Amino acid sequence: MSYLVLVQNGIAQGLIIGLAALSITLVFGIARFPNAAAGDMLTFGGYAGLFAFSATHSLLATGLAAIAATALLSLLMYYAVFRRLAGRSAVSLLVASIGVAFMIRAVLGVSFGHGQLVYEIELTRPYIVGGVRVSPLDLKLALIAFVTLAAAFGVLYMTSIGRQMRAVADNSDLARVSGIRPQRVMASLWLLAGALTAIAGVMLGMKTIVAPEIGWEILLPAFAAAIFGGIGSPIGAVAAGLILGVAQELSTPLVGFTYKIAVSFAVMCAVLVFRPRGLFGKAEAVR
Amino acid sequence: MRGNRRDVLRGLGAGVALVAMPAVVRAQGADIIRIGALNPITGSGSPYGSGMQKTIFAAAEAVNAAGGAGGRKIEIVAEDGQTSPQAAVLAAKKLIEINKVSAILGTWSSGVSLAVAPLAENANVLLMHTSGAPALSTPKVNGKGLFFRFHANNERSGAAFAELCKRRKFTRPATMAFNNASGIGNVDGFRKTWEAGGGKVVESVVYEPNQPSYRSELQKVLAANPDVIVTGSYLADTTIILREWFQTGQAVAWAIPGWAVTPELIRAIGPTAAEGIMSVDAISNEDDPAFKAFDAAYQKAMSKPGQSNVYAAECWDMVNCLTLAIEAAGGSVDANTLKAKIREVANPDGQKVGSFAEGKAALKKGKINYEGASSALDFDATGDVKPTFGAWTVEGGKLVQKYKFQA
Repeated sequence: MSYLVLVQNGIAQGLIIGLAALSITLVFGIARFPNAAAGDMLTFGGYAGLFAFSATHSLLATGLAAIAATALLSLLMYYAVFRRLAGRSAVSLLVASIGVAFMIRAVLGVSFGHGQLVYEIELTRPYIVGGVRVSPLDLKLALIAFVTLAAAFGVLYMTSIGRQMRAVADNSDLARVSGIRPQRVMASLWLLAGALTAIAGVMLGMKTIVAPEIGWEILLPAFAAAIFGGIGSPIGAVAAGLILGVAQELSTPLVGFTYKIAVSFAVMCAVLVFRPRGLFGKAEAVR
Repeated sequence: MRGNRRDVLRGLGAGVALVAMPAVVRAQGADIIRIGALNPITGSGSPYGSGMQKTIFAAAEAVNAAGGAGGRKIEIVAEDGQTSPQAAVLAAKKLIEINKVSAILGTWSSGVSLAVAPLAENANVLLMHTSGAPALSTPKVNGKGLFFRFHANNERSGAAFAELCKRRKFTRPATMAFNNASGIGNVDGFRKTWEAGGGKVVESVVYEPNQPSYRSELQKVLAANPDVIVTGSYLADTTIILREWFQTGQAVAWAIPGWAVTPELIRAIGPTAAEGIMSVDAISNEDDPAFKAFDAAYQKAMSKPGQSNVYAAECWDMVNCLTLAIEAAGGSVDANTLKAKIREVANPDGQKVGSFAEGKAALKKGKINYEGASSALDFDATGDVKPTFGAWTVEGGKLVQKYKFQA
């Protein structure tokens, strides 16, 4: 079997995991808790995109609608729950986010049923490039992912609010005494985290199906990628998602399809043994 | 002070007694038989679960209208198994320990039935399920003989797939199986029969659930150039696999279990990609009076024809079979008595009956043989039934039945 095909499949999966991991790592770096609701925010984005897609059949409108709806949900989560718990231990916030996750899933289940929905995209034959079959849909989705990532990194590294977010992530006390308003930073953070999961949700939904559990099931690999990449490191999260995806697919000729997930986790463990702070993480002193 | 404390204690005691009383009163209601309905309301089984649950309620209502079983009323306690072994085990524990049910009806996926089985066996509770895994009728799992399978054993479904491939003259089959007892059981059953007939399986893949893509898996199977791919799969993964397959552009026929080839699947992949897909599943006993009664109840509860949910027909039979056995046992719910009585009321020799009321009347005269809505419902020594299979082909976006055979 052609290894190029496996790499291509790995990248397609890695991008989805990487986007979700990026959202998790940003929240962890700035709000300082592991956001277990990221998976269900992703599901929400998948549903929002699905309805936009049925109405317009335009990828651009689908992406924008999913971003708008999920960013709004994310902001609502912040104001309704996480802002009130600010300053509590990370465990309280984690538990609260699990609760939020259940609520999102339950509302989606009650509203749209537990059955599967699908993006009614036209199924197209592949391009054949150098003997490798490339699906046009995957190309489009990869493009969307790269644009989203470019935009997210643009916000983080080229705008004032991005600088402020990184400052808070680096040292929140120092940021505060430097005159950075935490409220604004947090609101922007949640909008960005919501937008990223929304695109991951649309990608996953288009490639597979939309059902209330899809996001919950991808949460574990996304968390793994966030830790693997170095918790709090945006580049690391995306790189780790891609590495996990590609390692998993490339292992299949050797170990078969049943154990590929175990292989990707073994790769992660091996790296963490030699580099406990993750690929791109900074060594952090425990206070 | 001391007096006061006694008063407080007395008050507390009275309070506790009050809270505890409903349980005591309930326990004395010996004329009620509690039965658990553990169906997949959510998860992969959700297209069928609600219909199964409502059917169980409707069948119990009919039994109670006919005066109950052995003079005792039936009360159904329903839980959602979520098509998840973890969730189903918790639900089964609750049904057994808190509700004290005498039987658990309608576990759907093999993973769930296999997980619930040890609990039922330890508590001497009957388990009636619609799962396919061959393991469920082996002495290792079903040591006490308390489990009854109302659906086709996967070995039999696998043989039915082999029969279909033989009739359609395929020569190079490959298999793809969802990694659980049912998925693998189905393709293993196929391989066994196919190879016994001198055929060869050119490639086989077992895949994990909940993957964002199955392209690598597909690539491996398609590389062997099969003329048909036999699957052991569910709706969600089948949807993803077929969409990805169509986008590879390679022509191949598909033979897929009936529970995965639903109108939802055809809608999801579109009529062009779906054209020619074959499906195999056990079929209901549609010409039987029991089926007509079930169909009427199902239409009333779900506003859909009874043919659309073979598992619901099986649940209808579970309630009738179990309550007739209880009737024959004079109201006893002892599992060891009932497991013999179930065969007595369902297997041949005896007057053929198609409903609880009919059976109850006939039992006064002698032996009966309940002929079910799902099949003739004759249990072999391992607790399996031998259903009839149908094979369908998707033509113009609709499922058209092509064959009907025993396997």
